[in-house]
Amino acid sequence: MTVRSAYADGPGGARRRAGEHWTRRRELERQLHDGPALRLSALTLRLGLLAQKLPGAGDLLEDIAELQGQLHLVLQELRAIADQIYPALLQEAGLGPAVRELAGRVPVRIRVHADSDRFDQAVEGVAYFLVAQVLLDLSPDTGPVDVIIRRDAYGLALDLGGVDTDQADTVGDQIRAFGGAVEVAGGTIKVRIPCE
Amino acid sequence: MRVALAEDGALFREGLVMLLDAAGHEVVGCTADGDALVDLLADQPADVAILDIRMPPEPDGGLTTAERLRAAHPDLGLLFLSHYAEAHYLMRILQISTESIGYRLKEKIGSVDVLSDTLTRIQDGEIVIEPVLAQRLVERPSSNRRDVVASLSHREVDVLRLMAEGRSNGGIASQLFVTQKAVEKHIANIFSKLGLHTDTAEHHRRVLAVLTYLRSQQDA
Repeated sequence: MTVRSAYADGPGGARRRAGEHWTRRRELERQLHDGPALRLSALTLRLGLLAQKLPGAGDLLEDIAELQGQLHLVLQELRAIADQIYPALLQEAGLGPAVRELAGRVPVRIRVHADSDRFDQAVEGVAYFLVAQVLLDLSPDTGPVDVIIRRDAYGLALDLGGVDTDQADTVGDQIRAFGGAVEVAGGTIKVRIPCE
Repeated sequence: MRVALAEDGALFREGLVMLLDAAGHEVVGCTADGDALVDLLADQPADVAILDIRMPPEPDGGLTTAERLRAAHPDLGLLFLSHYAEAHYLMRILQISTESIGYRLKEKIGSVDVLSDTLTRIQDGEIVIEPVLAQRLVERPSSNRRDVVASLSHREVDVLRLMAEGRSNGGIASQLFVTQKAVEKHIANIFSKLGLHTDTAEHHRRVLAVLTYLRSQQDA
């Protein structure tokens, strides 16, 4: 029996498949946004219209407002799921704004240094989710953490300073298909992903 | 009020037109993308334009359309609707203007009262910020602001949240059922604790100062 390696069809094939994976994830987020999310938002408008047609029906108006509140909660849950597939902010504004938003959710002081450079969409996807994995794993007494995102001669350069460097191995697994490299220097995980 | 709107989702667009009608507003134009709205408003007066952020021209046509509309019609109010309430977009919107401008979640304007109140505040020159987003900014400020925000009293946090929604002193007073004088006292205390200058007390500058403070990555 032969073991099929990630490079069975060459490193170019692995990268192509990774690219398709992230394109698919972007499409799924878009479908959630354009389909069910839009339909639910439109329902809140129809409920508002219904309330307008029922003058003076106090209890019913409260029930309608309660249903609208429930639809808002459903939409919040849909957004949380969409963010785990491919955040809309990452798609539209890039790594810097998306990582800043993520940093706000972590109970540790995180300094994000990033300009408005955009990278290949698959590279932005894999980089965002590996940063998320490292940041969400921080224990609350760590900090401050520095996330530096920039473009160098090879592509994306990502430094995660002040984090748990034991995570470097799993980070390396995620970027292998892209021909990326990881090294640990001091308390910093340094990630390099070649890309456009 | 004369309202024009651009939204690429037909279902939501139709629902919004019906609700605007029911609220007694005149819908003077309704398009599926930003460029068509700019064309339409070239010779059709309106008081407020409602814009979906994520619509053609991609990726965020609402923002580029708003810049063109503000340049061509400085008095036209702008209301952005989005499926997402993000601080990133809020700051971009406030770069376009801090007057007669608003940003709300699509599912949060689904009542005649809320929709009309939002439009009226914008027409009156105010900034209207989605309360869900204002609350999140106050509950989850940038990490080096957390200790200072945590030092505020409950009532001061309420006032800070309403300031972050763009509310005026009178608006804050009526929301909290207190006098305007009491609100002014709370605001003075908050500004002193945050280390913000009182010369930012003027309404539009105050909203920006508060939001920038909550979002800032640097120490004051």
